[in-house]
Amino acid sequence: MIWPYVVAGLEWYGVFILLFFFAINSYYLVLTVAGFWRTLRVFKEVRRPDQRRLLRSPLTPPISVLAPAFNEEANVVDNVRSLLMLDYPLFEVILVNDGSNDGTLGRLVDAFGLRRSARSFERALPCKLIRGVYESPTYSNLLVVDKENGGKADALNAGLNLSLYPLFCAIDADSILEPDALLRLVRPFVDAPGVTIAAGGVVRVANGCDIHGGRVHNVRLPRRPLPLIQIVEYLRAFLFGRMGWSTGNSLLVISGAFGLFEKRAAVLAGGYAIDSVGEDMELVVRMHRYRRERRQPYRIGFVPDPICWTEVPVSLRVLRRQRTRWQRGLIDTLVRHRAMIGRPRYGSVGMIALPGFLMFEMLSPLVELSGYILLPVMWALGLLSPAGAWIFFVLAIMYMVLVSALAVLLEDIAFRRYPSVLDLGRLLIGAVLENFGYRQLTVWWRVRAFWEYLRGDLSWGAMERKGMGAA
Amino acid sequence: MAPAVALEPLRNAVLALAAAVILLALSLLIERSASALRSLRTSRREPILNRLLFQAIQSSPVDASDFRRLGRFDRKLVRSTLLGLALDLRGDSGDAIATLYRELGFLKKDLAKLTSWRPTRRANAAADLGLIHSAETMPALVRALQDSDVRVRQAAVWAVGQVGTPASLAGLVRLLGDRSLVVAHRAQEVLAERGREIADSILGYAESTSSRSGRLAAVELIGWLRITTGADLLLSGMRDLDPEIRVKSVKAAAAIGDPRFLETFHSRLEDVRWEVRCQAAKGLSLFGSPASVPRLAAALRDHHWWVRFYAATALAEIGPAGEEALSSALHDPEPSVQEMARYLLERGEAVLALP
Repeated sequence: MIWPYVVAGLEWYGVFILLFFFAINSYYLVLTVAGFWRTLRVFKEVRRPDQRRLLRSPLTPPISVLAPAFNEEANVVDNVRSLLMLDYPLFEVILVNDGSNDGTLGRLVDAFGLRRSARSFERALPCKLIRGVYESPTYSNLLVVDKENGGKADALNAGLNLSLYPLFCAIDADSILEPDALLRLVRPFVDAPGVTIAAGGVVRVANGCDIHGGRVHNVRLPRRPLPLIQIVEYLRAFLFGRMGWSTGNSLLVISGAFGLFEKRAAVLAGGYAIDSVGEDMELVVRMHRYRRERRQPYRIGFVPDPICWTEVPVSLRVLRRQRTRWQRGLIDTLVRHRAMIGRPRYGSVGMIALPGFLMFEMLSPLVELSGYILLPVMWALGLLSPAGAWIFFVLAIMYMVLVSALAVLLEDIAFRRYPSVLDLGRLLIGAVLENFGYRQLTVWWRVRAFWEYLRGDLSWGAMERKGMGAA
Repeated sequence: MAPAVALEPLRNAVLALAAAVILLALSLLIERSASALRSLRTSRREPILNRLLFQAIQSSPVDASDFRRLGRFDRKLVRSTLLGLALDLRGDSGDAIATLYRELGFLKKDLAKLTSWRPTRRANAAADLGLIHSAETMPALVRALQDSDVRVRQAAVWAVGQVGTPASLAGLVRLLGDRSLVVAHRAQEVLAERGREIADSILGYAESTSSRSGRLAAVELIGWLRITTGADLLLSGMRDLDPEIRVKSVKAAAAIGDPRFLETFHSRLEDVRWEVRCQAAKGLSLFGSPASVPRLAAALRDHHWWVRFYAATALAEIGPAGEEALSSALHDPEPSVQEMARYLLERGEAVLALP
């Protein structure tokens, strides 16, 4: 009796999934193309004398670089040295040792001759107990903060409390900034001070690159397929995707590995949320919300040429932790700010970006997983011919490959970071390989993240690093 | 009734997507091949053209005869090299580059591009003319300051700053109140570098403009350029009803350091806005007057951390009298006052000037 309804339901759901696949891939396609156009436009506006102008302009604001570190003894000294060598007129480096239980602090004390300081600081944001502040007699712009473990958001809040400058750049202590990264990233703040409140830079994958002395000397692709696939993913989603969103002042994510913020705007919005694992996205959404609710003009942008290099997971175990954490952070942010979704008061953020993230980022793994289950079920029930199932499967994969290949092509036109033709071929292979196993695994992990979120899991999970340059 | 999904369109879609992927891969190949060919040609022609260019620049008068019959590709290369050199070279070599650029007809083309219907073209032309440092382009660049497109105005401001005479620089002053923040800031930046030549115009603008943002920028410039004749304007600015004007005026006054400001600085330590109090304390550290010690010692109890910080810094800067006040503050019942005093006493040196 009920069977015809079940069949009809399954068939309707099949059509929904088909449409959803079409919609999600079109969404990525539009974002990629929009991001590319925006990138070209920015490149046209930036002319050669720009960097020199910024270096000597009295309008170039000083920056506090905040680098939270937890058990980073392997690379911390090299990375701090690399930060101290950045090309920028006036900046300070604040490394926050977030209760490391290895030799992170000791290495820093030895390498930079740090001395304990009675430094007074503004307690603008709550953070765990600061055990000590260390200054270097040699590097007057280096400050090391030793505090009790409280997570990345808490460490950033502590760094913000101790920072002296009007802009702060949040980075991961294990990332490498290109020497002119700050000069490039600060441009929107110089052009529209008081209006630009945050800007994100590009995070690129360092695995496989030739790195020494805290600098990337030769850009190469990794040999292993897992990081290779992540490079394609980073190009599609993080480079052109974010550039695309910034077109309509709707950028919701500025990577925690590399973002520049107006300190006052971040403090007014309440700083980093210590009870969120997606603190980077959460802060950006909160800054949008704060400004839009008060009808204050603002801009949150994305700059395509400042580069930060980071190491991506090389094992499935670590990748799983990272992806479930990202998904939990996304769910958490969208749940916290659900009142903004679909509300015209929040402009393009409420009407386009947040619904887009809800549909195509947060809920998409659920739909995708149900599609993977439904396809064989419908086939087994005779509701879908084998040919139909195959066509549907190939269609979904082809569209995804198309978007990824387009991202690779556009990267080559706009940046050409991988000069070898062989590398390009490998990236295209990565764009295909991504759809066989990798994509399904990440979908499964992202579905699991819903369960972890409901259980209230706020853990970060350790990121095991081989050490840049050692890889 | 459940919908029946026709397979034929799906099959066609798969084929279309496959074709698109192949097309993309082909585009990548073509794009790479074209760029490799370009690089090859450039690497062959560049050394020859560069040699000719250096000979032409060093000859007196500049001899452009070798370049007359160059093809389009070579002319593009020469133009790009000249612009690159113009970025680094000034003086006689800079003049020689400008002459060669004109002789080869590039200047005329750039001037024509300044009237193009495409804003990007106009903006690029303005920026290139700025690089070339040719005075004859000035009237066209000054006209470009009125362009309707922000990018063009922005590029023209920079170009005028590179080439401009005092008369043309004066044209930038009114852009301090431009409706586009980007243009206004670029004008301020240029004037911060070259504005000393037109100090009177800046002062006159600050006194007469009705644009709030323009006035703020001009007051800031008075401080950066240390225009001492602006002291009276700053004295009234420090008592202005607009807190932003008060902040900028106090900041500018601190840079000028006229002794007449001292009393006003003391009174500004009690301003209702913490930003003004903060700048006043910072300014007093530059005066280093022992007369400020009691006021600064009182400011150590300010509820705002930044005011306490600058007050303590100023006390440390003043010398023995200030240090004595800081030592007394070590016994203050308020922990925040003790903390700040301890930090500055321990540090024993001036803190970097902060914005």
